Amino acid sequence: MNQQLLAKTFVELADNLVADFDLIDFLRLLTDRCVGMLDASAAGVLLADRDGKLRVMAASDERVRLLELFQLQNDEGPCLECFRTGTQVAVPDLTREVDRWPHFVTAAHRSGFGAVHALPMRLRDEVVGALNLFHATPGPFDPVGTLIAQALADVATISLLQQRTTHRSTVLNEQLQTALNSRVLIEQAKGKLAERQNIDMEQAFTTLRGYARAHNRRLSDLARAFIDNSEPLPGLVA
Amino acid sequence: MRSDSRSDRIQVLVAEQAALRGARVGVVDVCTAAVVALPVGGAGVSAMSRTAASHPLCSTDDISEQLEELQLTLGEGPCVDAFTHGSAVLTPDLLTGALQDRWPVFADAALEAGARAVFAFPLQMGAISPGVLDLYADIPTVLDTEQLADALAFADLATLLLLDARIDETGGPVDRALADRGFEDLGGYRAEIDQATGILTVQLGVGIDEAFVRLRAYAYMQGHRLADVAADVVAHRLRFSPDTEPRRTDEET
Repeated sequence: MNQQLLAKTFVELADNLVADFDLIDFLRLLTDRCVGMLDASAAGVLLADRDGKLRVMAASDERVRLLELFQLQNDEGPCLECFRTGTQVAVPDLTREVDRWPHFVTAAHRSGFGAVHALPMRLRDEVVGALNLFHATPGPFDPVGTLIAQALADVATISLLQQRTTHRSTVLNEQLQTALNSRVLIEQAKGKLAERQNIDMEQAFTTLRGYARAHNRRLSDLARAFIDNSEPLPGLVA
Repeated sequence: MRSDSRSDRIQVLVAEQAALRGARVGVVDVCTAAVVALPVGGAGVSAMSRTAASHPLCSTDDISEQLEELQLTLGEGPCVDAFTHGSAVLTPDLLTGALQDRWPVFADAALEAGARAVFAFPLQMGAISPGVLDLYADIPTVLDTEQLADALAFADLATLLLLDARIDETGGPVDRALADRGFEDLGGYRAEIDQATGILTVQLGVGIDEAFVRLRAYAYMQGHRLADVAADVVAHRLRFSPDTEPRRTDEET
């Protein structure tokens, strides 16, 4: 574990949380750092909606197949189990779990993953979602890395409660609903930009995020303006 | 999991109200069903827009009707805030001092009309936000977790019904199919539905609301699941165009 990178990451995340941040942008940063620091091949933050279904809030890669792999776990998989039990689920070698999660293991293998780690996002007594880490090669997880991963999952949970809206409801499931809706907004904007520029969903996401940062806008505000055509966005739509 | 069937249960409650009325399911049935299911005295829905005038659509009683009209006339109140901020506004007691500052005119007028607690839920799906569902009670009221989740589910159903009403307006055989078919669950596997909606705004040259309506209408007409049609659109296996019927292509990505 690179200690300097670790320290830098927590400073960066804390800086973002203090500022007027965008939830989706923040969670994407967090998943990127999971990949950078923890040797994960891919990472995702999943939140439970009011019906207890897991939905992707952020992923280190927005390509459809990875999102599907996360979503697939609404039927079976370590993320679902982690969410239901509220405890970490470590799967250092997926090939050993074919009987337990036949569909998930097949899909994970097809996407090039050999190991999975799911960490609960807890708020007081309630489990609100899970942080999901995928590794290309099977092998035991570094215990220090696991501690850090759980700390990052906790930071992700805190960020849910920090997002700015003026008249903030203090009711948890309404807050989660609002968070999930901002994800829907981003997906719609990704679709529109991808189609218009003939790029893939990951490129569409990074383009939107880059534009928001360059123009000092919150990602969801930008996404809405783009979808509504409510203002010219020079440079975004060529 | 018990909560898995929340959307289904809410749909049944709303359908029952429509049956009592002897009509097809509409937004008004969401209002009456919400009043039956939740500790509230009345409910109302207003159509809201960032670009056009907002107007009340329906309400279950006089007080609800007044609340809808008050807010739209005054341009302030929980419904206006819910629409502007895209999050629910829960007001268990209008007599609380801070609220008098937040909505100086509305708070007094609402109390005078006979409301004591007011809850406003935005009807929304990302950038699609066609209106707000308002509930009121004549005594101080707190919605518990389950009741709040139910209220959110009522709002989701109202969103779909409002959008479907636009299909009805444009006519065609679609509306019958929609009514028979009920509502698909949009929960777990929805990223592609949202992406496809965004894609259709470009392919059809329409706004986001219309794009979603067209996507659903196509799925119903073809008898396919919405999620499957969306996946085809995202994978470029299916293209929509403004002038012709959607057509399937073989160019896989």
